[in-house]
Amino acid sequence: MNWPAFWLSVQVTAIASVMILIVGLACAFLLARVRFPLKILVETLIMLPLVLPPSVIGYYLLLAFGRGSPLFEWFHIRILFTWQAAVAASVVVGLPLMVQSSRAALANVDPLLENAARTLGAGEVRIFWRITLPLARRGILAGMILGSARALGEFGATLMVTGNIPGRTQTLPVAIYDAVQAQRYADAHLMVLVMTALAFAGLILARRLEPPTSGRRLEQSAEASA
Amino acid sequence: MSPRLHVDFIRRLGNVTLQMRFTLNTEILVLFGPSGAGKTQTLQAIAGLSTPDSGVITLDDTTFFQRIPGKPLINLPARKRRIGYVFQQYALFPHMSALENVMFPLAGRRDARERAMELLERMHLAHLAQRMPHELSGGQQQRVAIARALATEPRVLLFDESFSALDRPIRERLHEEIRALQAERRLIVIYVTHNLDDAFAVGHRLAVVRDGRLEQIGRIDEVFMRPANQWVLNILGIPNAISACVVETGPSGAFLDWNGITLEAPPINAPPGTQVVAYIRPEDIRLIYPDRPLSRTIGNNHLEGIVVEHRLGRHMHHLKVALPDSRQIEAVYPASSYTTMNLTPGESVRLALRKESIVIITGHQEAVRSDASRLDGHPERNPASAPSLPL
Repeated sequence: MNWPAFWLSVQVTAIASVMILIVGLACAFLLARVRFPLKILVETLIMLPLVLPPSVIGYYLLLAFGRGSPLFEWFHIRILFTWQAAVAASVVVGLPLMVQSSRAALANVDPLLENAARTLGAGEVRIFWRITLPLARRGILAGMILGSARALGEFGATLMVTGNIPGRTQTLPVAIYDAVQAQRYADAHLMVLVMTALAFAGLILARRLEPPTSGRRLEQSAEASA
Repeated sequence: MSPRLHVDFIRRLGNVTLQMRFTLNTEILVLFGPSGAGKTQTLQAIAGLSTPDSGVITLDDTTFFQRIPGKPLINLPARKRRIGYVFQQYALFPHMSALENVMFPLAGRRDARERAMELLERMHLAHLAQRMPHELSGGQQQRVAIARALATEPRVLLFDESFSALDRPIRERLHEEIRALQAERRLIVIYVTHNLDDAFAVGHRLAVVRDGRLEQIGRIDEVFMRPANQWVLNILGIPNAISACVVETGPSGAFLDWNGITLEAPPINAPPGTQVVAYIRPEDIRLIYPDRPLSRTIGNNHLEGIVVEHRLGRHMHHLKVALPDSRQIEAVYPASSYTTMNLTPGESVRLALRKESIVIITGHQEAVRSDASRLDGHPERNPASAPSLPL
């Protein structure tokens, strides 16, 4: 078992998850609630990593963070071939899952409830924290778990932007690839098992969080029985 | 000084322009009309959930909304208007208990819990305070919603078809509750419904809305007594609408020609030859016993017809009689009357109409609009209950 790779993966995934949560929630809210021009374009851009080959994503990341890019020249962000680049790759691939799931959850919250809260004197921020977020929380959590699981498993783009430096930028999936290349199968077995178990647990958790019926349907059934 | 709500605004909605203008004191106004007429939109404009295109909405000295040329734009957000809004779908927060729902508008107050409990007690729900909304019946949910709306200590309370999903006995109890609350807290209440029984049960005044405009507003009994026009007459389900021609007028009464039948009506301020719309009050129609002398009070308007339908009710019986020219007339009389008469369908019967039973609806010429199909296809209180007369 390659422990440095395991712990790096944990670290990368944890940081990526936080970023996925914040950025993903903001995107989801924007897409679910705000009408703006070229919305379909923004939406497609966020979703694109779901279908693009990892090497293409890796290439774009190399362009985005490489010498000559605005991030590199103006903001002095130099993360290529460090573990932070793995975080960037993980965020990009995990984001679409988070956005998809939490956007649906937010859209499912009945605007009537938010209007009711407005007439009861609540401001928009309070409405978001007390009404919208709690009612959408299962979908948001499910999206976050799926996004994190995807982030944990990120391989192709990570390989391209981190340079696969053992002990410094080598994450677990990359380490598995390395082990197989070097025919260290015992190592590979263990790591594969760990990855599989984590993904399995994540999917089950996400699945259980998905609401069996929407809140609105619950309300209607209560009405019918009243 | 009693609070006054003044509403005067215009809002364009698709193919209907909402144009509302009325002033309310502490009273219950029923907004009645077919769906799509703009009743909900009116409430939303008052509550601040939608923004009119122009106009003014004020409560006492507070301007909720103002958009008129030459004056600064004012649009007070909904949360600052302190208007209680009770929705049709209850709109309780499903992740909060009944108590937490009522406490929601009281956030930040130290006595929030006590005040919320008081309100739940007032709505007879104290024992259910810890229940979640889905564990409550529809009527209980709506009581929680009312308690929650009262928590902001509103001066205006809006009911948007709030009880239409509830059974009749529950609805009736809630109506009593609303009347009591209104009197007790001196509230301005607007109650939207498309159910006339509801209108009678809660309302002081009735406003009939059609295609975004007020067709008529007034005390409920007055609106029923004197519908402003043919459309109001139909939507209120008042039977026996007739179109007749003024033959002769005088200080003591007028004679109308109703397609060959001469009717004596109360005096009317219109020259002979004028076409008028009127209706015959069904409860003012008397039946004439074939074997008894006529009493003097029965007057002159005698009609002969064939019984079409005789419907028995608990207190009142309904009789439908066919007249010549495939006209029909409906009479309503107390169940204790005419018990010895044979009124099975096919029997002939004589009716007497007191002069006062004929109510002439004035100003009908400009108001009659017969495009009922434009009501979004939902004429709930269908004019079908009124006989289709050759108007």
